[in-house]
Amino acid sequence: MKSVNAVSTTLPGLGVARPTFASVAESELDAVHRYLLFLTGNRAVAEDLTGETFEKAFRSWRRFDPRRGTPRAWLCRIARSVALDHFRSEDRRRRREERYARDVEASEEPGLGEGVIASALHELSPAEREVVALRVLLDLDGPSTARLLGISQTACSTRLSRALKRLEERMSDARV
Amino acid sequence: MPASEAFDFEREFEDVVRELRAVPSEAPPTLRERVRALGEPERRRSFRLPKISWRGAALVLVPACLLALVSAAAVHGLLSSSSSNREVAASRTTPRDQLLEHGSNSSRGAVRGAPVFAPNSTLELAPVIPTPSPVRHQDYQADLRIRVKDFDALGQKTAQAMRVTQQLGGYVSSVSQSSTSGQPGESDLVLRVPVAHVQDAMIRLSALGTVLEQHVSIVDLENVVQQQRRRIETLRLQIARLTAALEQAGLAPDVKLRLQFQLDDARRNLANVTGANKATLREAALSRISLSLTTQKPVAAKHHSGRFGNAASDALDFLAGAGAVALAALIILSPLLVIAALAYWGVRTYRRREAQRLLGTA
Repeated sequence: MKSVNAVSTTLPGLGVARPTFASVAESELDAVHRYLLFLTGNRAVAEDLTGETFEKAFRSWRRFDPRRGTPRAWLCRIARSVALDHFRSEDRRRRREERYARDVEASEEPGLGEGVIASALHELSPAEREVVALRVLLDLDGPSTARLLGISQTACSTRLSRALKRLEERMSDARV
Repeated sequence: MPASEAFDFEREFEDVVRELRAVPSEAPPTLRERVRALGEPERRRSFRLPKISWRGAALVLVPACLLALVSAAAVHGLLSSSSSNREVAASRTTPRDQLLEHGSNSSRGAVRGAPVFAPNSTLELAPVIPTPSPVRHQDYQADLRIRVKDFDALGQKTAQAMRVTQQLGGYVSSVSQSSTSGQPGESDLVLRVPVAHVQDAMIRLSALGTVLEQHVSIVDLENVVQQQRRRIETLRLQIARLTAALEQAGLAPDVKLRLQFQLDDARRNLANVTGANKATLREAALSRISLSLTTQKPVAAKHHSGRFGNAASDALDFLAGAGAVALAALIILSPLLVIAALAYWGVRTYRRREAQRLLGTA
């Protein structure tokens, strides 16, 4: 994890270093984008949601408490909430379209690129891609990830293991 | 399948992890510029309290509330005990003064609800006896309950009360005495004593034993007497006029008959009013004293354990009251709390399931 304390202030009377928003945004932008890219599987959507996430974080920055977790975990929580809102609205939109224009097909943009790994990732569910992103790409620890996902650490490890195993199987199938 | 924190995916899925990390996922420059443009949020200058967790707040607030409650109870106990002490002191020092005061005030008008002495409060004290006004007509009634030592004393004191009444120019209106074995002896007397001697009578009757209760009622009758006298004068005048009219010669028979009826009516009224006036004056002249003598033992007095004991008792009463209020509030609020908890739990569960469905984990 990159250092985020290059530019920081100290909370009055508590001695806890509090980074500035700009430094956090600079250092965590890629991580949040990566997380949303894996979660949504769509590069354009991930880009929009990342921007939305940082706008939301900007508005609620004063509520961030460094004693309760890392900036990355805090941003990922906001990103997850933003993504769930997006999924909800997409879900509603899809139902509306199914009701009134059944022949309309959603165009899927390849968000994770081309290649074996990308197609294998697309076969995973968003929840599996999410845990892979958080644990493998963003290097969040088990407890933080479990808290973020609202599940137990055991369930988190199980989900990660299952996702990686499925990825491995798909990749080996694709290579054969 | 490993399902613990010790799960080392880096080693177990080394190839997959390596390929995953090679997926291009950096934020595009346009997005980076957009985020950079946000800048730094304005720092609020207002003073903010440090954030405290629920557990920390509970650890501080619960003992603080308990301490405040106990302190309030202690203060209440101390204040109550000191005020009750003052009341006791006042009751011990002023009866004689009150006696004089009542004596001087009684001429102003009616006195109702005169002092009532609780049992054991007058053991060493002379009772407070309001005195009737010597210049006004008043209905004076008193109830006196006195404890005597035993059955022998009951008979002696009853006879003594009758003697006192006669010595003061009054009479015994009624007397009844009961002495049943195993039960307290009772003697009830209704005494009529001239108002002029009622104060003396009350003092002498109070000396028969220990005063347990005393009720005195003084009702001013002066207005009633004055009204009756004016009515008598009017009626006498009317009778005189009617008599003179009847003695005139040459009255028509019907007029004479009518005047005669009026005269008879006036005489009847005069007799009635005169009788009522005499009764009122008799009532004002003789006081009515209901005297009860009893051998009943005193009710166990409240244990006085000094100021500290009283304060502690009052403080405990205060705490018990606060506990009762808290319990009542809890009983009233508990359904609402349960509903709120269920609503919170329901919303949370719904959102979690919805998230699971949206992310494909349901």
